[in-house]
Amino acid sequence: MKSLNRSGRRYALLDIETTKATPPLGLSSHMSGVAVLVRRKGRPVDFWMEELPKEVCTPEDLMRRIGDKSGLQTLKACIRDELRPPVRSTRLPSLTVAVCTRDRPKRLARCLKSLLSMETSAFGLSVSMEILVIDNAPSTSETSTLADSLPGVSYFLEPRPGLDFARNRALKEAGGDLLAYVDDDVIADSGWLAGLMEAWMEHPDAAAFTGQVLPYQLSTKAQILFEKRGGFRRGFNTIRYAQKLDGHPAYPFSAGVFGTGANMAFRTRILKRLNGFDEALDTGPPLPAAGDHDIFCRLIRGGYSIVYKPEFLVFHEHRRELKALLRQYWSWGLGVMALVNKWQQADPTQCRKLRYLIRTWFSSHLRELAGCFIGKAPIPVYMVLAEIAGGIAGLMGGYGRSVRRIERIREQYPCSPKAQSRKQ
Amino acid sequence: MTSKQLHMTRFKPWKILHVDMSRGISSLSSDLGIQGLFVVFWWNNIPLGQRWIPAKQLPMRSAELREHALAAIGPAVGRYLLGRSFEASLSNRSPEACIPDFKALTELEQPLSRLERQLSLPPANATGPSVSVVVCTRERPGRLKRCLGSLQDLNPVPGEILVVDNAPTSEATRRIVAHFPYIHYIREPRPGLDVARNRGICKASGDIVAFTDDDTTVHPDWVSRIRQGFEDPDVMAVTGLALPAELETEAQYLFETHWGFGRGYVQRVFGTAYFERSRSRGAPAWEIGAGANMAFRRSVFNEVGLFDERLDVGAAGCSGDSEMWYRILARGWKCLYQPTAVVYHYHRRDMGDLHHQIHSYMRGHVAALLIQFERHRHWGNLRRILVSLPWYYAPLTLQGALNGFSGRESTLPDEIRGCLSGIRFYLCNRGAEQSIRPIRRSRPTGKGV
Repeated sequence: MKSLNRSGRRYALLDIETTKATPPLGLSSHMSGVAVLVRRKGRPVDFWMEELPKEVCTPEDLMRRIGDKSGLQTLKACIRDELRPPVRSTRLPSLTVAVCTRDRPKRLARCLKSLLSMETSAFGLSVSMEILVIDNAPSTSETSTLADSLPGVSYFLEPRPGLDFARNRALKEAGGDLLAYVDDDVIADSGWLAGLMEAWMEHPDAAAFTGQVLPYQLSTKAQILFEKRGGFRRGFNTIRYAQKLDGHPAYPFSAGVFGTGANMAFRTRILKRLNGFDEALDTGPPLPAAGDHDIFCRLIRGGYSIVYKPEFLVFHEHRRELKALLRQYWSWGLGVMALVNKWQQADPTQCRKLRYLIRTWFSSHLRELAGCFIGKAPIPVYMVLAEIAGGIAGLMGGYGRSVRRIERIREQYPCSPKAQSRKQ
Repeated sequence: MTSKQLHMTRFKPWKILHVDMSRGISSLSSDLGIQGLFVVFWWNNIPLGQRWIPAKQLPMRSAELREHALAAIGPAVGRYLLGRSFEASLSNRSPEACIPDFKALTELEQPLSRLERQLSLPPANATGPSVSVVVCTRERPGRLKRCLGSLQDLNPVPGEILVVDNAPTSEATRRIVAHFPYIHYIREPRPGLDVARNRGICKASGDIVAFTDDDTTVHPDWVSRIRQGFEDPDVMAVTGLALPAELETEAQYLFETHWGFGRGYVQRVFGTAYFERSRSRGAPAWEIGAGANMAFRRSVFNEVGLFDERLDVGAAGCSGDSEMWYRILARGWKCLYQPTAVVYHYHRRDMGDLHHQIHSYMRGHVAALLIQFERHRHWGNLRRILVSLPWYYAPLTLQGALNGFSGRESTLPDEIRGCLSGIRFYLCNRGAEQSIRPIRRSRPTGKGV
């Protein structure tokens, strides 16, 4: 195993299939904790992480812990299998997978490999799947060389810098009924496609699907902190987001309820009807977030529903450096509040909900800040402060600044870019 | 009062829906006339969980309802299949907490079918202890008729069914009972539910005496499930699940959500460990079940005595049942909560009745605590009256004063008055203790039919 990070803190990641005899679980002594993904017949059932005690943790010990923590979830999975009706569909939708990337060929290669090695059938029906790589304002030709070398991958160049430019480009090129977006720093689980197809069969009227995002590795302090604070996890129960959500008065604006853009899929037709993503979001430095949340909210406000499906699973490589993590939290705060900015201008009738959102968002972060001082919050003070600072920056016209910048980019690339694709 | 009436007119009913998952889970359509659905999930004849689904979440696809079902039934299924260890891992309350056997869990396949086999009933003609069903009633012929009608569907038929007519003022009850060929009519002129129950016990000939109220209907398996509960010789009392039969008025909804008889879907054994653990705070014997659905070994009454006639309707107001369970636990025997034994209870429909009922509940509750203290000298009962109840009511009263006593708080004044009146009732009736001794008293003549 390759290691190491400077602080010597690492979590072992275990992927445990409960229906098979478990191999002896070796935990080397320099692991400071353990994160366990429990599966039943390949389906993810539960995930938890825990600091390990100083003394040696035996395999039996670990199994006992798993039984204790994941007992109910495993049982529920077991009942779910019994209650699941037989598949009646005769046809599955065709799927386009878009990976938007910029100068990260190594991670992209890993991501594409996981997609290409996936079984292209689910429930005995074959799925036609195309993979698009959208190269966003690259500085080298490495991505293009990589995409060319892989059969079954189409390459598109999007010169205008900004993730949502790239995503809209994918929307333009997509030929599938469903369009899935994954980030280049994820690895799709082997059940990813089947999970998405099952969600589609169970909810044929849903406009979008989001999935579970678990850590790919927990080998630096930043990664562990991020995951401890909840990471991108959304639990292991299927959730259908319709026009109302219990316990969320600010719904659909409440931050982060739907899932994340690292792993999401849309009905291509409906996404086109909504004119795709807002290109002033997810732009890099000025406003590097919130494009996913914006489109989810617009879907809900348009009367559509979204389904979260835990089996639609990817593993995400979190930021390795504390500095990068800090920036990520800052951008989350910025993104949430910039969106509030945007919606306030777009639809004044929603002001009450948005004011409520601002109030609760800031008060919950201040509570977390207080928690930092009594040692109850998982992340250090400066991270929370960064998120709050981001929120304030977002409220102070973050969205307007980004829109002006995007206008400049659009002027810079006056005509719509020519399709520079080399299809395989 | 006018605001209260206004509130009532605006109340939309909850619809009760029984879903048998063994026949598949279908989708739910939307319904504008209701406030929501109260869904009870069954696997064949085994109730496993429930869920309140507000109307705004409708229509609901079957896949989504399945997720609701899973969340609702998980604990009950785990308790049946994986035993007490599973229950322990769900709540930290139990000191004998141990971890579910992970291996058993991983080897589990088709858990619901397995559960059905595990809980299967013996054939109807199998021998076992005989059961006497006792229904106590007073001038409610319409409801009694509905109840007796459901008793006709019991399979297997119980050894006998007795209707105790408590201090009747008309012949209506007798006429209703005469319609049913195998039901015995007993008249008990002295008013009081526990007087009537005691009369029923004295007249009953079965090994097991099962009680239900006149405002219920019973599930066809009710008697056989109760009999199943007595398989353990240490179990002296069995209680069962009392589901709401309708939730059409605000009074019924409030009763179900805050007072209801629902004790959940997880089988529970109440024994010495439970009793000793909670004794210092007054063992909460009312958690064991509801008088509308309970049964005892007849022999236990010779050991611990009959129901205390100072309690329950017609006297203090209620808690005659829980006081009996308390005595059983104090003697070291077990009570079993058996959720597979189901009755459906028709709650009081109007607010006035509810207020009255809540008042008598608290009155009976406090009186029962004092009686338990008098019998056993367990100080926990006094502690509950002097510490726990005031501690519980102080913040609620404050909240009620601020929000104007609506919803949950609307019954608060009745509850507090009930508590105080319970103390007064006990002090006035301290001398009446002899009536509850298991001695053979001269019984007022009643005409058994």
